[in-house]
Amino acid sequence: MEILDSRLKLLLGLMAVSVFILVGGLCLCQVYQSDKYVRLAHNNRLRMIRFPAPRGEIFDRNGVPLAVNDTTFCIMGYPLDLNTPEELEHLSKILMRHGIPFTVSELEKTIKQQRLAPYRVMKIVPNLTMTQMAELVADYEFPRELFPLSVWRRTYPAGTTAANIVGYVGEISEGELKARSEEGYTGGDLIGKSGIERSYEAVLRGAPGQEALEVDARGRKIRTIDANPAVKGEDLRLTIDMGAQKLAVELLKGWKGAIVAMDVHTGAVIALASSPVYDNNPLSWGVSGREWNSIMNDPERPMLNRAIAGVYPPASTFKAFMSIAALEEDAITQSTMISCRGGLRFGSHLFKCWKHSGHGALNVIGGLQHSCDVFFYQTGLRTGIEKLIKWGRKFHLGEPTGIDLPGESGGNIAGPDWKMRRFNSAWAGGDTVNYSIGQGYMLMTPIQIAREYAAIANGGKIVTPHLCAKGYRKPEDMGINPAKLEIVRRGLEAVVSRGTGSRAGRFGVHVAGKTGTAQNSHGDDHALFAGYAPAEAPKYVAVAVVEGGKHGSSVAGPMVGQILAHLLSH
Amino acid sequence: MQTFWVSLKEDLSLTDRLMIFCALALAVWGVVCIYSAASGTAGHGFDYAFRQAAWLSVSVAAMLAVMIIGHDKMLEGAYPLFGLTLLLLLLTLLAPKVNGAQSWLGIGGVRFQPSEFAKVTIILMMSKFMSRYPPLDFKTFMMCLGVIMLPVFLVLIQPDAGSALVYLVISFGMLLAAGTPMKYLLGLAGLGLSAIPVMFMFGLKEYQKNRILVFIDPMRDPLGAGYNVIQSRIAVGSGGMTGKGFMMGTQSKLKFLPEPHTDFIFSVFSEEFGFIGNMILIVLFSVLLCRVIMAGVRSKERRCKILVAGVASWLWFQMCESMGMSIGLLPITGLPLPFLSYGGSSLLASFIALGLVASIYIEGGNSRHGF
Repeated sequence: MEILDSRLKLLLGLMAVSVFILVGGLCLCQVYQSDKYVRLAHNNRLRMIRFPAPRGEIFDRNGVPLAVNDTTFCIMGYPLDLNTPEELEHLSKILMRHGIPFTVSELEKTIKQQRLAPYRVMKIVPNLTMTQMAELVADYEFPRELFPLSVWRRTYPAGTTAANIVGYVGEISEGELKARSEEGYTGGDLIGKSGIERSYEAVLRGAPGQEALEVDARGRKIRTIDANPAVKGEDLRLTIDMGAQKLAVELLKGWKGAIVAMDVHTGAVIALASSPVYDNNPLSWGVSGREWNSIMNDPERPMLNRAIAGVYPPASTFKAFMSIAALEEDAITQSTMISCRGGLRFGSHLFKCWKHSGHGALNVIGGLQHSCDVFFYQTGLRTGIEKLIKWGRKFHLGEPTGIDLPGESGGNIAGPDWKMRRFNSAWAGGDTVNYSIGQGYMLMTPIQIAREYAAIANGGKIVTPHLCAKGYRKPEDMGINPAKLEIVRRGLEAVVSRGTGSRAGRFGVHVAGKTGTAQNSHGDDHALFAGYAPAEAPKYVAVAVVEGGKHGSSVAGPMVGQILAHLLSH
Repeated sequence: MQTFWVSLKEDLSLTDRLMIFCALALAVWGVVCIYSAASGTAGHGFDYAFRQAAWLSVSVAAMLAVMIIGHDKMLEGAYPLFGLTLLLLLLTLLAPKVNGAQSWLGIGGVRFQPSEFAKVTIILMMSKFMSRYPPLDFKTFMMCLGVIMLPVFLVLIQPDAGSALVYLVISFGMLLAAGTPMKYLLGLAGLGLSAIPVMFMFGLKEYQKNRILVFIDPMRDPLGAGYNVIQSRIAVGSGGMTGKGFMMGTQSKLKFLPEPHTDFIFSVFSEEFGFIGNMILIVLFSVLLCRVIMAGVRSKERRCKILVAGVASWLWFQMCESMGMSIGLLPITGLPLPFLSYGGSSLLASFIALGLVASIYIEGGNSRHGF
């Protein structure tokens, strides 16, 4: 035991010796050579500067620019060069002289906001043009300590016309920075906030560059030691046609609603308009909190992309789907005749047809042509809700279409299970009656309606709507009997040639489609029209939804007709 | 429950409060430093400091728990604990790599480093083993060495040469305290030193060789491996006598220092608190180490004397290495500075070890009073 204690004391002794050596080293470093190291720290001559990559640019299908980069300049500087009021006054005077309104108090404010460390570079005046910067640098009184830095600014030449598609960029937020910590973002980076800018962020952003600078004691650049250039992001070409898009936006002017036009075979979206519109340019340059609030709190909700996130009862446009489901389930055949006397009594309730005098006896083609409600009440009851839901799932109703835009809504397929979950009450026969004419709980987005009609037009294939070739997915065949589909298509042709949708057919192309008028408890009814052309060999599908447009036949039909005519003539 | 609080109170009144005070002072100062160190780069200072403070409270609770359980019971479980440690070290080899080494294990969202806890279990294992088989002749000496080589080998293939070195130093300190004949110890030290050139040629990875070459001459690669040494030395040196003041360090804030809140926490500390701050830090560490050893001297048990030697060697070595590398006295290894560096596993393991020492201190007092 004695030896153990002596060994412990020996250990303590060894430790004491090493600690003395350590203290000696620290003393040498921090006391005797301190001056040398203070100087070295002060002159620490390496700075790493990271500069963002120019984003990939966005074009329409014909190369019309939708999002481009402009070069602008910022004046950068170090806090220690702008310490006194005289220095600030001097700078303000020079800026004013060149027509850049920046008062001393504004300068003070910007500097105060960014002042973290005396050696950290900060942005003093942002967003200058090349000419402004050139004039400033040429001014002999311009402080030499300040230096220009070129930055990319995102601009959207199409502005309001395609804002709901392209979206906008903004400075990365604290939350996004945390969520994307693995992807190499840093504070101040631009990131896509909505639209294509957001869904293709990874493609568009490129790789930032880095520069190792040798700087003097005040951190001013002496020379570049090493540079790693930024790599521009990949350019994107969208499937949008700006001619059609512009027409769609103009047609919707003064209304709230959406127009979608799409290739029936591939799902390539050619026009995607949402009204009212907003301008994405100021958003990407940074707007004040007040402006932001006024956009976000606008009761018209311009930021809501109604084409993919607006949900509406599909109303009578749903009757095409009903016909397919009923024919496929053998609930009706082409020769099944149903008599309409202006209404259907179901239980204690009378479900009226829109035509109170009644349509008389009709088959499915006549039912579509005249949009007879009673015909579809009966058809729905004969098919049964379970089978309608089964077909709804085949058509992918109630789920997002997977379009390459953020914020898409899935609508609502409703049905007995949903009603039990939502309202805790059983699905009644009357619910099926309402469901059969697209009213009640069923809700769809314009893009979903477009996909449904594309499937009717292309022979029963469900496409994935997309705005960029990268978003293309192979269409999914639902296996609908071609003969039965042909019956429905003949009905849709009759709608335009001699039925309720005749106004869609007055623009020189052979359109087939269906009108719809959705009851709106908050005001005038919503007008809908979904159609495709040419009817005999369909190429394009178009859908118009006009909030408060009263009748699908008079407002929405001509819009679809004009869009389809435009697409086929160009 | 009542008895628990009574025994806790009694233990606290009997234990070495000076030792615990020193450890707490260091750890709290560490949290403050971590706040400063991590504030520079991405401004996560508060996050890191908060997490470290949370770990500190867990650690203190663990220390008190170990104190109440007592070193006696802990030593009883030494063999199974050692086995478990080996198993965990094996498991880490299957875990994903972080910074090129596999030293982390995750359990329910909390990641920890088994190699830190291994330090405690190695100490428990070795003190039990060496008191049963005193390494007084060559055979038992070799047996002891054989046991220690198991965890050393497992961390070496992670690869984590730093931890392997700590295990070896811990064992050397314990062998010394266990009364191993000097000729064996000197032989072992000689063998270790002569192994360095061989290791250098064949055993070390390229970056490890670089660290050693750069230690000899930092200017051979001023923007690469030598950069850290130079920048760290500038940080410490420019702190001067009184330091630049809390949160005012330019070296750490301007990202000249790598890993400022972990490996180079001492450089951040020195830059901001200067030579005077360093002296206070070293006094705290010295008092702590003295008290750890004194707990062993007080104790009447052989295994306890060996145990404290292990704890003291561990804390001493990491302190010297972490401080020494930041002024270029020793090569860079990336070992944390005990109690100060950011890292929950290291903090928790250190406090558990102090819990053992505190318990030994209480026991030593009891036997002296003839209980």
